[in-house]
Amino acid sequence: MLKRLYLATFSVSAALLAAPLSAMACTVCAGGASDATIEGYNASVLFLMATPYLVMGSIAGGIFFTYRRALKKRAQAEAAEEPIGELAWNQEESAR
Amino acid sequence: MAQSSTARKIDQAPILKEVKRPAFGGGEPPAPPVRSNPPIASNAWLAVFIFLGAEAMFFAGLIGAFLVFRVGSVIWPPPFQPRLPLGVTGFNTVLLLASAVTMRLALARTRAGDGAKAVRFLMLTASMGATFLLIQGYEWIELIHFGLTVSSSVYGGLFYTIIGFHALHVFGALVWLGIVYAKARRGRYSRRDCVGLQICALYWVFVVALWPVLYGFVYVY
Repeated sequence: MLKRLYLATFSVSAALLAAPLSAMACTVCAGGASDATIEGYNASVLFLMATPYLVMGSIAGGIFFTYRRALKKRAQAEAAEEPIGELAWNQEESAR
Repeated sequence: MAQSSTARKIDQAPILKEVKRPAFGGGEPPAPPVRSNPPIASNAWLAVFIFLGAEAMFFAGLIGAFLVFRVGSVIWPPPFQPRLPLGVTGFNTVLLLASAVTMRLALARTRAGDGAKAVRFLMLTASMGATFLLIQGYEWIELIHFGLTVSSSVYGGLFYTIIGFHALHVFGALVWLGIVYAKARRGRYSRRDCVGLQICALYWVFVVALWPVLYGFVYVY
């Protein structure tokens, strides 16, 4: 088992050493630093990075304002209604 | 003495001699009476809200792809490609924004208990949405005649993908609105129960709010 592990580690290390020295970091790193395409990718990345915050903020804001509105409505409804009396427990009926 | 409920107000209860405290182990007195409160938002509303978050991310992906090519291009639109009509689409934008206002008014009238006016506002909303789609369709036909197709360039491909997906969403919202309108005409929504209308309005407002963003990026920028 240990022998196989050594062999696998050696194989992977040998493959990495035999790989070309310079390689593209990712598929979109195709141009130089001043290339317009890079600027396009940068703009896209920034936009996509900001969007989740916007979306989650909208969801949180929507829930927050709905909650506040519901509380206000509930308070108004309770003020309008007469208070409920104390509930009685009836053993005969609850046993059914 | 048959009673339909196991709980009643003490001051109205005629059989107080049989009243007993429930023995929930330990002999603690029962909790004070509480009022059953309705939830602050329906499950359907919450589900649609989260679904719209996913929809927003979908469109963000499309806009992200657009930005790669738009910012990455020195000349935009590419040579020999037609310009997009700003004026007609600007009018279309105003029309769609107005439809969101009428949709909110329909919801407000339903909550106020005025179903007849709500139905009228729903009709107005659907008419404006349908007009928006018709104008978009006409615009597309014109652009195809001018040579802008999905395969003509990246410009055309992005335009038809982004605007097409939005139009598809408007169409879906319009179908949903048609169902809600038919239900509203039959008086299925009341001031206390109008969740169906509420979530349809939420979706409609999302589709409307999305359009100025797309208009700004695809047409104006």
